[in-house]
Amino acid sequence: MEFVIEQGKQPHHECSTLILPALSIGNVGQLAMDLLVSSMKAERIGYVDDPFVLPCVGNDAYGPIPCGDLALPLEAYQSSSSRLTLLQQRSPVVKGRMVEFAKNLANFAAASGKKHVVLLSSLDFGKWQKIDMSSGLQIHYLSSVNPDGRDARCEQLGWKRLQEYNPAQRCWKYLRTLAEGNTMLESNLPFEDELEDEDYYPSLPFAALFSCLKAKGLKVTCLLCYCSEGDNIQDAFQLAEAACRLLGLNPSTFPGNGSGGWVIPFSWQTVYGPPPDMSIF
Amino acid sequence: MEDVITEIPPPSRFFQEDLNNFITPSPSLPSPFLVFSNPKPKKPLRPSLLIIALSSPSLYIFHHLSPKTLIGSLILPEVPLSGISIDPSLSDKTCNIYSLNDGDKSILLVSVQNGVSAERSHLVSRLLIGEDIVPERVLILDSIQSQNFRGKLSPDETYAFKLETLAERKGLGGGNVASSLLKGLDYFPSGSMIDGLAAALLSRCQLKNIKGALCVSWPEFGSSVAGLIRSLLQRNVLPNLDSSLKGDVQDQYARFNLMKHQPYDTEMYT
Repeated sequence: MEFVIEQGKQPHHECSTLILPALSIGNVGQLAMDLLVSSMKAERIGYVDDPFVLPCVGNDAYGPIPCGDLALPLEAYQSSSSRLTLLQQRSPVVKGRMVEFAKNLANFAAASGKKHVVLLSSLDFGKWQKIDMSSGLQIHYLSSVNPDGRDARCEQLGWKRLQEYNPAQRCWKYLRTLAEGNTMLESNLPFEDELEDEDYYPSLPFAALFSCLKAKGLKVTCLLCYCSEGDNIQDAFQLAEAACRLLGLNPSTFPGNGSGGWVIPFSWQTVYGPPPDMSIF
Repeated sequence: MEDVITEIPPPSRFFQEDLNNFITPSPSLPSPFLVFSNPKPKKPLRPSLLIIALSSPSLYIFHHLSPKTLIGSLILPEVPLSGISIDPSLSDKTCNIYSLNDGDKSILLVSVQNGVSAERSHLVSRLLIGEDIVPERVLILDSIQSQNFRGKLSPDETYAFKLETLAERKGLGGGNVASSLLKGLDYFPSGSMIDGLAAALLSRCQLKNIKGALCVSWPEFGSSVAGLIRSLLQRNVLPNLDSSLKGDVQDQYARFNLMKHQPYDTEMYT
């Protein structure tokens, strides 16, 4: 993984908190990142080049009027006022290479002096088994601060620890072993056709990133929301707001002029495809 | 029959395998490599312009371009070499590299006639740009993939859009629009994406601070889009293009297109 600094830009070392999406159902983490970058008017400082991320290019996603500024698969932004580095990922990871990608990202984060990494991701409503109706549509979290994934700050904010996190469970243990670079006996490998319900959560990209970042000694906080695939804009808002609460940021003080400080990215105008053709009526 | 009232939005969602840490990766393949007809070319090659043709109309136009000299090829080990013609043919699954003569400009052309998977594109882009070939400027010609386009694409209309690297756009600063490779084209609309080899190549140019431009056209096939590409190339890239093309390319392309892309299987009919 190579970080290419954009010409004339300079990463600031005080931006020691890194926030990034983990690919997930509904692209919620990525949508939340779009919202944060757009609303903070974060400045792009460079690109991350990784052979395990599939290629894509596009026109500027944020506007206000896209003028041909190239968008690449992995872009690093900076908000000095919020002391944040934001990493947006626009395309999937090569099949079967998620753990390698996570390791590369963890190495990059550690080498760039990051101290706290916040992962934004979502979980499938259809897989939610330990349904607690009192929790509603609230944020779930997973933290590296304690072995059981608990974090006092997140508890204080009223969020629920991801109950399905069990560090002793075979897949979580396997991820930890991979992240630490140790080899495993082949009989302990969770084969694809043997995956069970309890293997769902550690099979997700956020789990690979969490395990690899934690193995590098970084503080990691995963913010998760349950959703179904569809119009996930509101889920993105929920996640972005949670990230701000965690980091003590107030969206109304962002440089944007949108409602509550949020600025809808220009690219969201067609995020779910073109509107229906009204000329037929 | 498709729902005529609403269009199904292009897919933007992940496949299950995209979100599974434990899925088995595809078997690893031997690395692609470049071979040159001159066993010891002066490396790296430094063309003033590197043109990479990916779309059907651009491949057809360049196939009929003359003179050009075959100087090498990019070999993808996963693509079988059997059945390849001795003389370059449009039906060959090859990725040939040609040298074009255009005054004092050194131009290299890469005709990518074999498909390059998205997973291999990163490697291929490194081979073509920045190692054995270090171009001053790059032009990539591809087609719009409808599944990645968030706007309306009418099959009856012809479109072309562009994307440029920062170096290409800065190089045009001061109103020097005349030197733009893709003058007159609008930028690809925000919200839509281009993937695959074209994206990898343009990204590579951006990362290496090379002047690069990507033209994506629609529809994928058809004489109208071939005419559009031809006029774009003639106007801004190869002013002597018309005199270099053998015959009426547009008409020939229409016939070639009809034969190659039949909507029905002609072998069913006797």
